[in-house]
Amino acid sequence: MIHISGLRHGILDIPSCRIPAGHVAVIGPNGSGKSTLLRLLAGMEEPVQGCIRIGEKSPGDMAIGWVHEVPGRNSLFLRVDEELASPLRFRHYQCEEISRRTREVAERAGISHLMDRDLVTLSGGEQVLIAMATAIISGPEILILDEWDSHLDAHTAAALQEQLSGLGVRCIVQCTQNMDLAATADTVILLSRGRVKAGGPPREVCGKCADSCWYPPSWRWREWNLPSRG
Amino acid sequence: MELAFEGVNIRRGSIDIRISGRFVPGIHLVSGMVGSGKSTIAAVAAGLLAPTGGHIKKSGVNTTMLSFQFPEWALTEKTLGEEVSSYGLEVAGILARAGLSGREGDDPLSLSRGELKKLNLACVLAKAWDLLVLDEPFGALDCEGKREVCRWIESKRSSIVILCTHEQHILPRIDALWEFQGHQLVFRGLVPGALADWTLAAPGLKALVARGIIPANISERDLREAACRIRD
Repeated sequence: MIHISGLRHGILDIPSCRIPAGHVAVIGPNGSGKSTLLRLLAGMEEPVQGCIRIGEKSPGDMAIGWVHEVPGRNSLFLRVDEELASPLRFRHYQCEEISRRTREVAERAGISHLMDRDLVTLSGGEQVLIAMATAIISGPEILILDEWDSHLDAHTAAALQEQLSGLGVRCIVQCTQNMDLAATADTVILLSRGRVKAGGPPREVCGKCADSCWYPPSWRWREWNLPSRG
Repeated sequence: MELAFEGVNIRRGSIDIRISGRFVPGIHLVSGMVGSGKSTIAAVAAGLLAPTGGHIKKSGVNTTMLSFQFPEWALTEKTLGEEVSSYGLEVAGILARAGLSGREGDDPLSLSRGELKKLNLACVLAKAWDLLVLDEPFGALDCEGKREVCRWIESKRSSIVILCTHEQHILPRIDALWEFQGHQLVFRGLVPGALADWTLAAPGLKALVARGIIPANISERDLREAACRIRD
């Protein structure tokens, strides 16, 4: 359970909010505070006022995987293989273990063919794939994804989203402008001007948006009796 | 006015991105998966990257603009007001279009990525260009912002507009469809005829085509109208 109480930080003003652990999608207009909330949940910023607990812990005390919305800002190293191995090297894993895990994660993320490339030569979408693989390689307790899907085509985003659920991460919090991806979450939080406008299962939150573009396109296709997935 | 690629290839690591064909005035959608070469083609079309082989010929194209996938790359000034002025545009009007009225003095890097993207597009699309290349203009925009940017793009039909995107649901009405087959950019044809051959179309659009219903175009309104033809 994520528990937010008396939070005031930048644009955010959330008196109280309880979010069940699991897969959480944060949605809302540009500038509504989504990234700010994610940075707080990742422990990258301390709330100016109020408190955030994830289970029994503060975000800063947890092992967190983070993917930034601007993929280039994730990386510390020049080459893909060095970047991917870095979280394990920082934790002083044995070389054989690092090689094994790096190979395994690269294969799972479909980036094995990019391992000897320089990060700057990759497309925006490929950089996101590297960032995602680097975030999960050390087995974080919580994974925070800041609009990671905005650089991916629908097919790649859906395939990766499916993989996310098989990672065994206790809690995944992502913000997205893709309402079809948001609809796959356990809980959707709708932010507007820094406040929680609605929260609950996707059917409850997105279902109220049927007359707007916030309604998942795949639901609309289904209502038109057309397939929503390839 | 024309931008022609004659046997152009661009070497990127171990892959070769290839394109041959002509871009004339109108809105050209370039569709492709992650890593297919959309941004590379955008950079080559805008003249920022030289091809490894082949020839690019421009005729009647005197002004060119590229809107980068990552709007941070295009920033040159310290405040929003100065940034808008650097395009030679009137500050208050552009900030209002971007939903940022009254924030003239703010640091551009204090904006969220979606806000920054919209500001960049408001500046780029407020001016007239012979060749306008938009690399993932919808990335990070909320759905209402995407709809608004679609309207802005549609007003540029008299220019050569190359729209590189993986967006599938909120799109402007386009004139021509191009698609990456592997790393080769292939001209699918003019819309609506080309829609039957669009491999990366949204599944719903493909299903419409399979039932013999070809939407007039790819905007939300066109798809809704086509779907209504099933229910009738």
